[in-house]
Amino acid sequence: MLEVKHLTKIYEDGTVALRDVSFTVEDGEFLVVIGLSGSGKSTLLRCINRLIEPTEGQIIWNGIDITAADPAQLREIRRQIGMIFQQFNLVKRSSVLTNVLAGRLGYVNPWASLLHRFPKEDIEMAMQALERVGIADQAHKRADELSGGQQQRVGIARALMQQPKMILADEPVASLDPVLAHSILGYLEQLNQEEGITVICSLHFLDLVQRYATKVIGLRDGRIVYRGTREDIRRMTDEEFKEIYGEEAVRVSVGPREGGA
Amino acid sequence: MATRTIQREKLPSLVPPPVAGIASLIIPGLGQVLARETRRGLLLFGSLVSITGLMVWRIYDLAHLEPGPLAMLRKAIARRPVFVVPMLIGIVALWLWNAWDAYRQAQPDVKGGAGIFVLVIVLFFTLGWQIGEIDLYKLGSELPDAWRPLSQVLWPWPAAVEREEEILSAGADILVPCDDNPPPPPEEVPGQPYLVATPTCGELSELGENNQIIPGTTLKLVGRGFAPNTETKIWWVDPLGNEFVVRQSGEYVVFQTDDTGSFEIELIMPYRLIPPSAAGPQIHRVEARQVVGTGPARPSEPLRISIARMIETIFLGMMATIFGIFFSIPISFLAAKNLMSGSWLTLAVYYFTRTILNIVRSIEPLIWAIIAVVVVGLGPFAGILALTIHSIAALGKLYSEAIESIDPGPIEAIQATGANRLQTIVYAVIPQMIPPFVSFSIYRWDINVRMSTVIGLVGGGGIGFVLIQYIKLLDYRAAGIAVWFIAITVAILDYVSAEIRQRFV
Ligand SMILES: Nc1ncnc2c1ncn2[C@@H]1O[C@H](COP(=O)(O)OP(=O)(O)OP(=O)(O)O)[C@@H](O)[C@H]1O
Ligand SMILES: [Mg+2]
Repeated sequence: MLEVKHLTKIYEDGTVALRDVSFTVEDGEFLVVIGLSGSGKSTLLRCINRLIEPTEGQIIWNGIDITAADPAQLREIRRQIGMIFQQFNLVKRSSVLTNVLAGRLGYVNPWASLLHRFPKEDIEMAMQALERVGIADQAHKRADELSGGQQQRVGIARALMQQPKMILADEPVASLDPVLAHSILGYLEQLNQEEGITVICSLHFLDLVQRYATKVIGLRDGRIVYRGTREDIRRMTDEEFKEIYGEEAVRVSVGPREGGA
Repeated sequence: MATRTIQREKLPSLVPPPVAGIASLIIPGLGQVLARETRRGLLLFGSLVSITGLMVWRIYDLAHLEPGPLAMLRKAIARRPVFVVPMLIGIVALWLWNAWDAYRQAQPDVKGGAGIFVLVIVLFFTLGWQIGEIDLYKLGSELPDAWRPLSQVLWPWPAAVEREEEILSAGADILVPCDDNPPPPPEEVPGQPYLVATPTCGELSELGENNQIIPGTTLKLVGRGFAPNTETKIWWVDPLGNEFVVRQSGEYVVFQTDDTGSFEIELIMPYRLIPPSAAGPQIHRVEARQVVGTGPARPSEPLRISIARMIETIFLGMMATIFGIFFSIPISFLAAKNLMSGSWLTLAVYYFTRTILNIVRSIEPLIWAIIAVVVVGLGPFAGILALTIHSIAALGKLYSEAIESIDPGPIEAIQATGANRLQTIVYAVIPQMIPPFVSFSIYRWDINVRMSTVIGLVGGGGIGFVLIQYIKLLDYRAAGIAVWFIAITVAILDYVSAEIRQRFV
């Protein structure tokens, strides 16, 4: 169980990105964070594994206070939390396999890894992970030779290598077209349902939210302005959606027929 | 409708057209300004004032010794009529055109017209021609004279090899003046060159009372057994042993032997150098001489020096590049804004480093070489120092920009896997840094080798050093060899560096 208590983040320039955010996520949940651009979604996700240092508040995961962890503990925590990014964040010039193996960096012998040496089992595991996302044949290509959808699948494979208990996904499909979006979120849903991995994912499109979320929180100006269950979100109307997204937003439809943006 | 044209409404003129015209006649451009064409007016004013000003300066330059402006003008016209007269006509025409233009611009519905600016450009061009002392006639008339050294530079390879040299000569005695028994022709020895002169006596050329030329006897010279197709000179040896190459109507007597090593020429006996002696007839001697290379060809001294200095140049560039890379890497971290924006102290270091790098970089390597020569003396070390300094500044800037443009995404992603700091650097930072670092370093090596040829000119070692010496010694063939080596090396390096960079990026 992940408990976020009174989380506040104030950037050095004085921007208040999160104000007193509190929520809990049960194990095995698919939590979707929605909110306008600049509402603090990325900041929230990065506070959870402390890529960004929270200013105030506590984050407790299965009884461990992430916010109080020392660097060694923090690495131990981080390696159990996979992360997927909007821009994929692959090392473009490295091979696909190297990118995937990087997911093991928190587990392997650090000195051996500096020479790019990984145990045999890890290499087999990497090939299986690539197999699982359907791009095993691309393993030896350079990462930037792959298409966007393939790159995001490499990102998922990298997260899988961490054998994560939780996955943080920051707008994983915002740079992909709608068909690919469903395929990528499909993998996350599968991991969530079959392996019970908790997923915290920020999304932009209501249709995707309704399709995949088991729980939703809505952010606006760094505050939680909406909390909903799977049933709530299925019944959500355009008015409620506008409430979160502000007046200028319109409901964007993501379907095979219309496509959206 | 994809295209849009920007239409400016024409404002009505403040004055009637004739007034605008007269205004522009008094002050160029004024009429246009009054006609609400302010920019056009200012442009014309500026053009006319500067053209007229420059013209006054040129006339003064041509004739500043004359008293008074009118005398100067006359003198200037006399000295450079082709320049001064058309310019004066052009300026007057421009002035009148400017007035007429103002008259037109003041009318409603009249716009633009670029013709007047064409005249402005033509006048500036004419001024530039004169100020730049462009002299196509000189270029044409002196090119033929320059052709000989130039051709030696372009094709210097005959001087690339040398052989042992041997002088091949044969002579015949000539009695001056003739008497009853002229000397017999020399005996022919098989395998030796052999020269027969007929007749074997005669009179030397002389200057008469009124400096008129009294030509001497014409000798027919027949040579056999010389080296074929080889430059041959005719020498004269007088009884006192003075030797000189014979001239005929001002030119040295130099010719090629034929395929069989023979020749046949006519020679008017030269002027006497010593006064006619009372002792009566004297024996002079005419000789044909060749310089013949024998033995195997071997690389000449210029070739050997050029190769050695070219290698020195390549290594000079390489050492400067290696030192440059070595020192610029740490400096580039200090000059990368993303790394240094932490506190005001690091930011101050950043600005300081950047400023120094920019100053050092803006000073040409040639200047650094002159400074380095003063410090460590002539030689390659001075060149290495100069190029190293400039490389540090140039690479420091390029590297720091590469660091600044690192994508933070992969760093974040690797950190999120639980990697430690060193792992993050190895997996996320270094892969991003290698391509620009390799690319910039190779590029710099290329530049440094090219620059080191130039740096030699001021004493910084390398091939430039010998090139400038050969040019000063007027040894154009040797200079040509050096130039060829530079060109070949630069071309190869250019190709190689382009290849490597393409592979890496
Ligand atoms: N490094 C930073 N320094 C200062 N302010 C920041 C920084 N990163 C983000 N912010 C600000 O914090 C606020 C929240 O940003 P955040 O990136 O979390 O929003 P977001 O919901 O992820 O938006 P988007 O949908 O565009 O990704 C914004 O106002 C942003 O400008
Ligand atoms: Mg974001």
